[in-house]
Amino acid sequence: MKEGNKVSVAVDYLARLEKKVETLKILTEVSPVISSTLDLKELMTIVMEKAKDIMQAEACSILLYNKDTKKLEFEVAISENKSATDILKEKISLDLGQGIAGWVAQNRELLFIKDVRKDKRFYHEADKKTGFTTKSLIAAPLIGRRGLIGVAEIINPGKEEYDLEILKILTKHFAIAIENALYHKDALEKERLKQELEIAATLQKSFLPESPRCKKGNVMVSAVNIPAKLVGGDLYDFTELSGGKLGIFIGDVCGKGISAALYMAKIISDFRYIAHAEDSPEIVMNRLNSLLSKTPRGMFLTAIYMIMDTRNGGAVISVAGHPPFLWITQKGVKVSSLVSGAPLGIIPEDYSSGAISLSKGDRLLLITDGVFEAKNKKGQRIGFSGLLRFVKKNKNDKRLVKKIAEYVNIFSRGAEKADDLTIVEVKYL
Amino acid sequence: MNIGIASYKGSKVIQLSGDIDMYSSPELRTELMGLIKKRISPLYVDFKEVSYIDSSGIATFVEGLKIMKTYDGRLRLFCIPQGIMEIFRFSKLDRVFEIYGSIDDAINS
Repeated sequence: MKEGNKVSVAVDYLARLEKKVETLKILTEVSPVISSTLDLKELMTIVMEKAKDIMQAEACSILLYNKDTKKLEFEVAISENKSATDILKEKISLDLGQGIAGWVAQNRELLFIKDVRKDKRFYHEADKKTGFTTKSLIAAPLIGRRGLIGVAEIINPGKEEYDLEILKILTKHFAIAIENALYHKDALEKERLKQELEIAATLQKSFLPESPRCKKGNVMVSAVNIPAKLVGGDLYDFTELSGGKLGIFIGDVCGKGISAALYMAKIISDFRYIAHAEDSPEIVMNRLNSLLSKTPRGMFLTAIYMIMDTRNGGAVISVAGHPPFLWITQKGVKVSSLVSGAPLGIIPEDYSSGAISLSKGDRLLLITDGVFEAKNKKGQRIGFSGLLRFVKKNKNDKRLVKKIAEYVNIFSRGAEKADDLTIVEVKYL
Repeated sequence: MNIGIASYKGSKVIQLSGDIDMYSSPELRTELMGLIKKRISPLYVDFKEVSYIDSSGIATFVEGLKIMKTYDGRLRLFCIPQGIMEIFRFSKLDRVFEIYGSIDDAINS
């Protein structure tokens, strides 16, 4: 090798080495910053501040990709002009393919545009709205493990030339950090929702009678209520009425979760108000039906309301689309055949009522469909007839309600619990 | 759940199959509300291939029915399988919805 060539190889080698040192220096500077926080906003702000410094840029911004709207939205914008930042965040979002950021997001390629005036992809509206003048920009896609996260933009950088490879490495690191922060944010949000649900569940329980047992005169009522999720749509209530009477209500709100729980809370308060004003169950049902008909989203309720005379075992009962109750006597188990109206809250209806008379020792079992619609792992259901068989077999068991709940639990073990379960037992002592 | 919109003798028919539950009923709601917005009436719903419907699915139809009633629209369900029909009878929903054995019965009623 000639002397001159040796010198040029050494110069090249030194230049490459210097570049590597520079890359390492930047990475060493940025890495601790990137991993210093899991707070998404803080992370993006400090990284963009750092990027702005390193690139001697006038402004920096990050647009995050919103998977629901399929748009890029400004999440962080750092510039001397604070109002420009607000305008960008509030008023500007880009479709994929729109503007330079949209192009970068769509093509997943880093771009360095030295003169935006010469680039047709440039979106002028942002400058028009903010009053900022973009001359040149670097836009880099942020790609995480699950795809596009967004686009980072460095506006009016101080130099004419940059090592785009370093920028690619940096944005890769940055994308992973943002993704981690997003996961962390999701985890925090899930935890917050879980806590909210737990509070909702406690609140919902407070709407049900304080004790699941109630004794008045010769009548003893007890209830079991097991929601499928933390909060549910089944409800029951015992209301002491004048003249030795007891109002017993069971209902099943369509749907589950928070919406059903809120609807349930409204129903219980409406029911308590009406039950004390009216002494026939069908009138209570008529009034409830009229109140609930204004509920949005097609929500409705199936229910049974009975007013029981605790002195003589007489009961007047009105049914609104609810599964029949079981009547356990010395002789056997009967399925009630009372006439039922439509569920509450759907159509105008004139509810009727029927009267029955309990003998001493008789029991009524009021249930919601979660009892017999429980599914096992094979997708089979207990069914109303299956439940009836079980009750007939165990009718003399003093812990019958608990036993039914256990039966449902064992039957549906391993399958997803799909519905709330409520059993109200009325005993005439 | 699968959902399709078909035309039969000039009428719009929503064809459903599979389970209509809390996970699939939002999709059903979007389709149903889209047709209701256009005030298509009568609107026919084919239940022949439906294997299960829970209360959130029923609530979707109740919501549709209530809106349709405000402009005298008719929602007609047909070919409801026996198991689902039992649920409808049990909950007295047969008093709420117009139910027919076949599409022709529904159209000719």
